[in-house]
Amino acid sequence: MTAPLVRLEGVKKSYGDSVAVKGIDLAIGRGEFIAIMGPSGCGKTTTLRMLAGLETPTEGTVTIDGKVMNDVPVHARDTPLVWQSLALFPFLNVAQNVEFGLKMRGVPAKERRQKVATWLDRLGLSDFARRRVDQLSGGQRQRVALARSLVTEPPILLLDEPLSALDAHLVIRMQGVLTKLQRELGITFVYVTHSQSEAFAMADRVVIMGHGEIAQIGRPREIFRAPRNRFVAEFVGRNNILSGTVSGGAIDLGPITVPLPGAADGPAEIVVAADRMKISREAPAAPALAADFVSEEFAGTGIICYFEGPGGEELKAQVSEDELEALDPAPGARFYLTWAPESAHVMTGQS
Amino acid sequence: MPSRTDVYKYVWRLPLILWQGLFFVVPLLLMVAMSFWLVRNYRMTPDFIFDNWERMLTRGYVWNAYEVTFLRATVAAALASLIAFPASFALAFRVSETTRRWAIFFLIVPFFTSYLVRVYAWQVLLAESGPINAVLGFAGLGPFTMLNSGFGAMVGYMTLVLPLVVILQTFSLAAIDKNLIEAAANLGAGAAQRLFNVIIPAAKVGLILGAVFAFILSFGDFVSPFYLGGSKPPTLSILIIDTTKSGQQWPRAAVVAVMMIVTLFVVAFAAVGAAYGRRNG
Repeated sequence: MTAPLVRLEGVKKSYGDSVAVKGIDLAIGRGEFIAIMGPSGCGKTTTLRMLAGLETPTEGTVTIDGKVMNDVPVHARDTPLVWQSLALFPFLNVAQNVEFGLKMRGVPAKERRQKVATWLDRLGLSDFARRRVDQLSGGQRQRVALARSLVTEPPILLLDEPLSALDAHLVIRMQGVLTKLQRELGITFVYVTHSQSEAFAMADRVVIMGHGEIAQIGRPREIFRAPRNRFVAEFVGRNNILSGTVSGGAIDLGPITVPLPGAADGPAEIVVAADRMKISREAPAAPALAADFVSEEFAGTGIICYFEGPGGEELKAQVSEDELEALDPAPGARFYLTWAPESAHVMTGQS
Repeated sequence: MPSRTDVYKYVWRLPLILWQGLFFVVPLLLMVAMSFWLVRNYRMTPDFIFDNWERMLTRGYVWNAYEVTFLRATVAAALASLIAFPASFALAFRVSETTRRWAIFFLIVPFFTSYLVRVYAWQVLLAESGPINAVLGFAGLGPFTMLNSGFGAMVGYMTLVLPLVVILQTFSLAAIDKNLIEAAANLGAGAAQRLFNVIIPAAKVGLILGAVFAFILSFGDFVSPFYLGGSKPPTLSILIIDTTKSGQQWPRAAVVAVMMIVTLFVVAFAAVGAAYGRRNG
């Protein structure tokens, strides 16, 4: 990776006694689509606002394009943000909204008109240029917000849960618009969301935050297959977290001991993704977790079956619709859950 | 036959309609009618003559009074809006919610005391030998004649309208979506640009409403121009009093009153149009 565009070093933000961000280090590359994800109150929005200059870090430095930004006021930065509420100006029409940033920066009228026209066209808004923003649909407003932020051709775009107010089908469409834009423009997108599907669908890298700290940074697949700790595994979901003791290349989970080649001896937590769990009615030869069927949940690409394990814990296995039909489980029915040793990921991080 | 919900709608609206009818529309119509009545030997007789209108509209002093009143009310509206704005801005953006509530409360307190009493207090303060001139005297200035002048009247108007204008402005400013202001900064707008391009347009309705109230209250006020302005030059309100006193000329006073009401209607409608008018293209 070439020199990163954005660098956060030991960035901390506290409001009086409450600490929103506990000290994070993060480098974001040029042209990278990065998603910051985590539950409410994890500090993801505060982090984004520090990038925009809407919050000043209590400690640490924020560097953008090699320049320390801590003391640069909001309006002197070129870090446009797309608000969750979009924050379009209701007293201006679509074209005037898009023009705003150029006007504030003193771009000559002729150039402003050209750029506005280009961006309205690019986002399919040309027919609505003279409309008031409250006469637009949700998706159209979203595109106005994007055009307004991108018209100054910034090196980075910050997005704060911009799709959370949209209908499900529009979310998918806007995801397409966003990824296409990001690829075409080649600029950095920093996308804050609590939605895993949005983050995994669009981002090159995902940053998982919890309690004001970064829990894990990685590609979507890495995060899903190899969560670093229990927090990440639970946040990502659709997996089984099992704890036990490793000795001699096998883990003792209590009811059963399964091979876990290469793992260091001692207490360990492993995670097995739901889609790697095999289920059968008959007890297999290999050690298997006996579990009782509880319910099923249609998840689009498959069906997640929920079981109650030997210790009362919840276990999940993803099956196809055909498999489910063949199994035809009734609540309380006994099943046996197994997985290939290489499907188990040992979590090394502290939760 | 009206449906059930329709009946309810009218039942709830009825008190307002009755009130407005009895105490606004009927007196207004009566006043308009009266402006065509005849006065003979200090007695009014219902009639339909244009003498009152002709007399009042052709007299220079009426138009002079109109001009003074309109000008003063306009200045009062502008001045009150300008003086109030920094205070309203601070209350809306710089203080906590609790402080703002207390401030609003203290802005309502002046309405507890009679406006007339407050104006009398000003008479003492602004007098040639009053405390303000005494203080200025120490600095080697004055004494200034502040009473019985346009300045005195303006002080009175401000006493009447400022608290209300601050309240209206504060509410409209505090109601602005803070994200809009942040978004403006995020798009490169400095403090002054944010003020003129976002804050003022977003609070436009409340700001105009404040100015209109200041105009209406000052335009119709009798107390300040009389007790602090020295009734010279007379305003329309003073003219009405004078006209009714001199020879029971109620119909002529009604002409002035109708002129005032028409003016207020025009101003109010123009202001509402400006406040809610759509800016497109």
